[in-house]
Amino acid sequence: MFGQWENVPLGGTKQKEKVQMRLSRMKSLLALLFAFTLVAAACAGDEAAESSDGGTSEISEGAAAEEDPSDGGGEDAARTCDGEVEGPVTLTLTSHSSGDAYTGAVSAFNAGPGSELGVTVELIDLGEAGYEDFITAAAASNDLPDIIDMDGPFLYNFAWNKFVQPLGNCISDGALDDFLPSIITQGTYNNELYSLGSFDSGMGIWAKRSVLESVGARIPESSGDAWSVDEFDQILRDLEASGISAPLDIKWWYGAGEWRPYGFAPIVQSAGGDIINRSDFQSAAGALNSAEAVEAMTTFQTWATDGLIDLDAVDDTNFVEGDAAMSWVGHWMYAPYKEAFGDDLVLVPLPDFGKGSKAGMGSWNWAMSSSAADPDAVWAFIEFVTSPEQVKIIAESEGAVPSLKSVLAEDPTFQPGGDRYLYVQNLEAAPDIAVPRPATPAYGAIRNAFSDALADIIAGADVQETLDSAVEEIDADIAANEGYPAG
Amino acid sequence: MAVSQQDLAPKRKRAVSPGLAFSLPAVSMLLVFMVAPFVFATILSFTNKKLLSPLPTRWVGFDNYREVLGDGDFWGALKNNFVFSAVTVPVQTALALLLASLVNQKLKGSVFFRTVYFLPITFSLSAASIIWLVLLNPSGMLNTFLETVTFGSFSPDWLNNPKYTMAAVILVSLWASVGFQMVILLAALQDVPQTLYEAASIDGATAWERFRNVTVPGIRNQLFFVVTITIILSFRLFDQVWIMPPKPGGPLDATNTIMVELVNTGFKSGQIGKGSSIAVLFFLIVLFLTIFQRRFEPEE
Repeated sequence: MFGQWENVPLGGTKQKEKVQMRLSRMKSLLALLFAFTLVAAACAGDEAAESSDGGTSEISEGAAAEEDPSDGGGEDAARTCDGEVEGPVTLTLTSHSSGDAYTGAVSAFNAGPGSELGVTVELIDLGEAGYEDFITAAAASNDLPDIIDMDGPFLYNFAWNKFVQPLGNCISDGALDDFLPSIITQGTYNNELYSLGSFDSGMGIWAKRSVLESVGARIPESSGDAWSVDEFDQILRDLEASGISAPLDIKWWYGAGEWRPYGFAPIVQSAGGDIINRSDFQSAAGALNSAEAVEAMTTFQTWATDGLIDLDAVDDTNFVEGDAAMSWVGHWMYAPYKEAFGDDLVLVPLPDFGKGSKAGMGSWNWAMSSSAADPDAVWAFIEFVTSPEQVKIIAESEGAVPSLKSVLAEDPTFQPGGDRYLYVQNLEAAPDIAVPRPATPAYGAIRNAFSDALADIIAGADVQETLDSAVEEIDADIAANEGYPAG
Repeated sequence: MAVSQQDLAPKRKRAVSPGLAFSLPAVSMLLVFMVAPFVFATILSFTNKKLLSPLPTRWVGFDNYREVLGDGDFWGALKNNFVFSAVTVPVQTALALLLASLVNQKLKGSVFFRTVYFLPITFSLSAASIIWLVLLNPSGMLNTFLETVTFGSFSPDWLNNPKYTMAAVILVSLWASVGFQMVILLAALQDVPQTLYEAASIDGATAWERFRNVTVPGIRNQLFFVVTITIILSFRLFDQVWIMPPKPGGPLDATNTIMVELVNTGFKSGQIGKGSSIAVLFFLIVLFLTIFQRRFEPEE
């Protein structure tokens, strides 16, 4: 700001001379710029020539290029597990949470197995908002922590960039048997396991049984007998007629983050579309903008424009206080809702837009940075936070589905008849009901395009046009990254 | 003129080295934080550099520029920038002058109002945007007020309805930055010699005539400065449109700006090369606007 002040004349006696002087200086600057442009263009010409000869022309970037693991060609390959923790080592861990479960896990590790092995873990709490930006910046500046806590689909781009390394060597036989298959699916990229989570997620609609019954709505027991889209539409309108002005809470105030593809891609998938063609992950055309997807998103748009969706909420109170009758959200709201409504609370599947009810899956998980000081030490920590004892504490703190079958079996709310049994049913039926987020490095672009498209659709945009341009955006990103070729 | 030049020459020679020394910190900062990044951005704009990618970076010539200039989003964003500037520059300058004239009256409590009008400047724009997010909520304070005074006929969904998003952004921007221009104009007003007003009064000038013929000419350099700085700052519109609408850039890109395009391309999509080309184009646009504007500069 102050830099610009200096450039602005406040008037004075020699204004004209000054301006002329500045202009001539500006001219020389422009000339310099122009010359520079010409040189750059000439270089580009050379490069094009080289490329057409089949040579790959690389711009040297000094240290950055040297440290890039993909350039190392083997000798610089990431260290892998050798079964031994070498000497005392301090590991850094970035996390999206500094909740008691996380700080507790770190101090329990440091006091227990850590102290035996000589490993100390230092927790760097970055908070959930902007977490991705932080670790992206860390990756871009070669400054990643040893252990990275990351939201599921973010993994694939990091794996493609070789910022994280496979856990394969570290895991002993049979160690994965207790994990939910959905966790292994989420952690796998290019046939290698890169990450493990302490919990998986659950997606559905929370409602009050008494309110649903008051409008005569059928209460589905499983995703198999989910409401059809017409049934759901009718229920929304009945609820509105019963005096609830905006009956559906969709947590719109969460904003443009992971929530939108996680919470609303199931609409497209339930209609028979998807957010990308999963056969080769090269295009979203025909998936995201298919006729079925357009129809389903148009229905959703109608709910928004008819005022059936509460877009004005700025926190969770709308559902808790009865201003909304249903809450379209993930597992993390279980505890507060249960506290508010007790046994009246019921979890129902998302409506069926034609090809069966779908749900999101996947959540935060632990990965090992390629620059990890000692992979064995990192593994010791990941093993600890995915041990039954820690999984129980961490999953409980998030209200989430524990990632281990043994822990899951202990909790009655996840058993048939229990409050959260639907989540388990959906995950067990993956990928037919719970749909994994696409394991492609292009996920970030898909997420951004979908998130923006959803905002425009809710604002009343033409659905076909909006989804077409989202497809264009996704395909352009994939093209710009040369199809994300597997290294 | 020639004589005075000769007189000055020896003095100047002596003044050179302290002059350089004094300007060195500022100049070196400018070089490191303004010039160097811009040079790098220019270089990067001719490559396909990505924020994160294992693939090698290549020269791509003018591909980035071609893509950006062929993209409707860029032109849409530029149009929004111009609309925003076309409204805020005159309105904000006029409002600042009005406020400055008001708090310049020698009345009780003028210091209090001066402080109040200036207060928003001390907030960070992002914090102010968050507060306004709550105020602009369809069932928030502003709409409750509007509903009451219009008997329920006017309470728009400011941020979700593309028709009103730009208006909301302009409103917040005016509120947040008018105090800055006000303070500059206030200082200017206090510099206008009181004797001129007295003379004008004796000549029988009305309040409006005094304003037209004494005040405005007396502060026109500062007015010009205010207009210039407002134009430059208005082109950098970012915080409000990034934070307030349901997606950065607003519903249906109603408040998309060049800065938003730049950040989205460079960081959200990780296309540093393409983002750099937007930065270079943006610089050129602002540069030409500023040069163009200098033609209207007041002369003594």
